[in-house]
Amino acid sequence: MCAKPAALTSLQQVLRKSFQSLEKNQKVWNSVLAECSPLMVSLGNVAEQLRALSNVQLSNTPLSVFPDLQERLHFKLIQAADTVLEKLNEKMSSLQSVRDSISNQVSRAFQLYEQNTDSLDLLTCTQRSSTSPSVADMLEWLQDAERHYRQQFLRRKTLLQTLRADNLSLLESASKRWESLESPSEEENITDVLFKVSFFMESQ
Amino acid sequence: MEAQSGDSTVASGNRKCSAVTGSARKIKDNAADWHNLIIRWEKLNDEGFSVASRVVNHRLNHVQGEQQMLVDDPPPPRMDGAPAQRRQLEAECSKLLEVVDKMAAIISKMERLLASQKGLLDLEEFQFGPEGRKVPLFHSWMTPQFVEVSHQLFDAYSQELRLKQTILQELAHTVTSDLCMVYLSCWLYQPYIHHQMRLTLEALLLETGHRLL
Repeated sequence: MCAKPAALTSLQQVLRKSFQSLEKNQKVWNSVLAECSPLMVSLGNVAEQLRALSNVQLSNTPLSVFPDLQERLHFKLIQAADTVLEKLNEKMSSLQSVRDSISNQVSRAFQLYEQNTDSLDLLTCTQRSSTSPSVADMLEWLQDAERHYRQQFLRRKTLLQTLRADNLSLLESASKRWESLESPSEEENITDVLFKVSFFMESQ
Repeated sequence: MEAQSGDSTVASGNRKCSAVTGSARKIKDNAADWHNLIIRWEKLNDEGFSVASRVVNHRLNHVQGEQQMLVDDPPPPRMDGAPAQRRQLEAECSKLLEVVDKMAAIISKMERLLASQKGLLDLEEFQFGPEGRKVPLFHSWMTPQFVEVSHQLFDAYSQELRLKQTILQELAHTVTSDLCMVYLSCWLYQPYIHHQMRLTLEALLLETGHRLL
């Protein structure tokens, strides 16, 4: 019955903090993503209208009597697309904060582990109890979660950066491509992990 | 009489716009009227867009139904839904007509505002000669500027009304979905009400003291 090494206790504390941060950030991430959905729908709507306008020869319609109508409407639609893209960029900033927060927290945990590898041997790290997963498992889960959010952010940011209000085909496909970035299995894994560490988070 | 009372409220430097009388009072009231009319217009625009969207939906459903009947061989028995559909379409078109009529009424009021503005300018020229007042009634605008702004707003909204009247006439008869969508876009985005118009209105409200500087 040996006393727990101090290093293990501090590492466990940091791990607890990391999972708390992960739990909070998962909620923020999901709510920001949910706010992006209606924006992507709006973008699709505007793209549809731009396509319809490009398909119609106004001079062959009753609208031919209206001066500069094509240019004026086109301008307004482009403006509308720009507005939506701006809002989406704001959402990206929020997602970036989440990614940074998780990355920082996880790297702190790994730093602490690496500083204390002398007192944290393999046995200690792989030991698990009914209320606590092993340190090794927990570090792995955190690493997986961090990678997930990092990749998700990068892919979504890259997608948005390719969008230009005046590139119609990209605007039209944006919504589908955005949806295809979803990774429900990864999200589920994270939820599972949080469930697995729930006892651990509650204990001191 | 009016010249004296109008001028007595104007002092160089700090002007107390709360004590306006005469021409200044009228111009200030006109500015408030412009603002209120435009707010009412925007509400009607939103309402009209909902109605116009329903007209398009009914129309395109009907067109698809007709095309299906041409394709089917033998054609299916005439659905009971068809007269009901037509009645619905007619009802929506009537609603749209109501909206456009209300918008036309707003344009008439705008025309009266413009006329009032011109009248005030004429009065000023009568009182002060062709150069008009030497000192602005409010902060910096000379009276012709109020006429110019009224003209810009009136021209833009009148043109927009003409566009909406065309959309009203054509929407229920249009067969192609692309053109239907263009009509809807024109209604919603109001191509002739440039963003500049909103800034112009704000400038008018600032000048006349409705908005604090």
